[in-house]
Amino acid sequence: MKESASIVVPFSPAAENAVTRDVLAGWLQELAPSGIFTTDADLVIRSWNQWLVAHSGLAAEAVIGRPLREVFPDLIERRLDEHFVRALHGEISVLSTALHKYLLPFRGEAGGRMLQTARIAPLPDGHRIVGTITIIEDVTQRVGHAVILRRQHAHDRLLSEALELLLASEEPMTIAAQLFPRIAGPLKLDMFFNYVLAPDGRRLELNSAAGITAEVRKATATLELGEGFCGQVAVHRAPLVEARTHLDQRPVAEPARRLGLRAYAGFPLVIGDRLLGTLSFGTYEREEIDPDEIDVLAKLAQYVAIALDRADRDRTLREARQRLSAHAEELETRIAERTAKLHETILQLESFSYTIAHDLRAPIRSLTGFTEILLHDHAADVPEDAQALLRRLSRASHRLDALTRDLLKFSRLSRQDVKLAPVELTELVEDIVAVTPALQGGVLTIEPPLGVVFAQRTLLQQCISNLFDNALKFAKPGVRPSILIRSELRPTAARGVTVLPGVLVRDAALGEASADARRRIWIEDNGIGIPPQAHEKIFGIFERIPGPVPIEGTGIGLAIVARAAEQMGGACGVESTPDEGSRFWLEFAPADKPAGVSS
Amino acid sequence: MELTTSQKDALTELINIGYGRAAGALSELTGYRVTLEVPRITMHRIEQITPLLAHLIEGEVASVNQIFSGPIAGNALLMLDEHAAAMLSRLLSDDDSMGNSLDANGREIITEVGNILLNACLGVFGNLLRVQVTFAVPRLEVNSAGRVLESIAVGGEELRYGLMIHTRFHLRASNVTGYMIIILGITSLDRMLRELEGWEMRQTT
Repeated sequence: MKESASIVVPFSPAAENAVTRDVLAGWLQELAPSGIFTTDADLVIRSWNQWLVAHSGLAAEAVIGRPLREVFPDLIERRLDEHFVRALHGEISVLSTALHKYLLPFRGEAGGRMLQTARIAPLPDGHRIVGTITIIEDVTQRVGHAVILRRQHAHDRLLSEALELLLASEEPMTIAAQLFPRIAGPLKLDMFFNYVLAPDGRRLELNSAAGITAEVRKATATLELGEGFCGQVAVHRAPLVEARTHLDQRPVAEPARRLGLRAYAGFPLVIGDRLLGTLSFGTYEREEIDPDEIDVLAKLAQYVAIALDRADRDRTLREARQRLSAHAEELETRIAERTAKLHETILQLESFSYTIAHDLRAPIRSLTGFTEILLHDHAADVPEDAQALLRRLSRASHRLDALTRDLLKFSRLSRQDVKLAPVELTELVEDIVAVTPALQGGVLTIEPPLGVVFAQRTLLQQCISNLFDNALKFAKPGVRPSILIRSELRPTAARGVTVLPGVLVRDAALGEASADARRRIWIEDNGIGIPPQAHEKIFGIFERIPGPVPIEGTGIGLAIVARAAEQMGGACGVESTPDEGSRFWLEFAPADKPAGVSS
Repeated sequence: MELTTSQKDALTELINIGYGRAAGALSELTGYRVTLEVPRITMHRIEQITPLLAHLIEGEVASVNQIFSGPIAGNALLMLDEHAAAMLSRLLSDDDSMGNSLDANGREIITEVGNILLNACLGVFGNLLRVQVTFAVPRLEVNSAGRVLESIAVGGEELRYGLMIHTRFHLRASNVTGYMIIILGITSLDRMLRELEGWEMRQTT
């Protein structure tokens, strides 16, 4: 190579030009990938290159020397010969495919006419125009590709519009009906069927359709699986595409033929392995649906499947919500009914116990009175053993009297309106001590200041008295009772498990604390204490803890405390260790909130 | 350098003759009635044209550029904004599937339209002004107006002017606005204006 490159052949410039021209002319003649021909000033063809021979089927000898208009008479019909005339005047013309399709009528590769772009230019020799030169390019493939690209683009746009619609749609069940008008035009379709699988999974029900008559719609409202082409699609869960069904005598084409369809495509609507229904399209005019259109329809079917699935989920969710709220409503109604019934029962019971206690008092007083009289005035007339019986009768009748009195108090509690006012606790306790000799002489220790609470004085006095009585009553045998009363301000209300209204058995913080400050009054004793399992019970009516020593009492005292505390918007409770003592507490809204305790 | 009113009038008349021929050719080609209107002709120094066009056309410009030579030599351009070009090609080809941007077919159509228009105008110049003009093959370029003119402005040392011919296509109840710009060196411009005067004289006598 190097050697040959080093050979220098001396050329004169003129000779060099001639060679260059000849080489170029030869290349244009034999190898150029375009059609090139020239004419003289009379538009007689003077050259015809190999490309033209190959694509026109006309040999060079068959055209050279003949007038262009004679070889291609349709140039005159289409008035394209004017461009050659103008070229003789110096003008260049470019002819586009889109406006002319072709310059010379050649056959294209696919059998159709070759699409061409052409340039027609003057052929100068020095300053003189001696003829024309024409260059023809085959753009059939390019145009074909452009058409495909444009179709693809249109299809993509269609799909993205469909997707947009799908995402925006509030009624996914009608998505096929919403989509169809948009795709019918661009994809040249005339009808569609959208079936959904019936809940029993054995039939297809027509969800929406278009482009069919009312009779057809009625006749095809439900399909058995396997019936008609939609039934086939559903059974096989595979697309079914048929073309030229009007010429097709096979049974599979029969339903389409009956509807007058020429081509159709059906798709199963499947999510995962779940069949939701079918979507099929058809045309009464076109003989077939093109493969790229089938692809678009298959994608649309997928979209519709997703939409139907969404509708399904939405419906399930909605139904579940409805069931849940119906259930909650029913529960609420039931609770309200039961609460009302309970209230009524409680009222009846209270009224009953009030009546009993009230009506029992008179005969009990007679019993007590007459027993007293018998013991005082006629003791001498009865034998000794009868006197002992009388004394027992007297004691029993006194206890019965105390019991009815307490019952009456308890009953009254729920019947009276409570008006709250600030109550000075130290003063109140001192009043109690003054009338209760058992508390005097150092038995009760007051730890001042006890503070001021919102309460009703008489009720609060009752509560505290009852708690003092309790402490005295449940003193350890042989141990001098010692009671301490003190109070503390707590930033929040006591929370716990309420076993009776207003009673908290556990004051451990259970959850969020309320913002209300409360004053808690503690009454602590050194008595026998209460076993933990009894803490819940003692505030109930007639509840007594079996102890080693039988203790006198009505069993209503703590019930009165609990009820009264509740009536005053307060609470009560107990902490106790058997054999060590009990710590009862009462809690009310403070009437003397000091700064620093937020309310 | 400014055009006098009478020069402007004469130029407008001349170009209208050319546009009439071009509109005829386009109507015949497409089967639609196409009319071309020349509302205004202005002349500017070449370096003033870019900012002017930037003001008139936003974004990309489709331009058909055809060089001509002879006693009057220069560059003729048809400039349309890309959307206008796409719309024009859509209207002319009756192909609604064409998008908003120019594909190969659209580019060819615009090239042919530019070619018809430029040939008609320059042909009229040649014929009526009795000067022989020869043309190069038209070239389509989609670019910013600045870039298009930049590539033309390179070279030529002499002062150059551009005749800016506002052009409006009317067809199928729509209209598309474009700009034909004929760029001439001072020598060619001088020659053209002299020929124009001669032509006017011949018209009036």
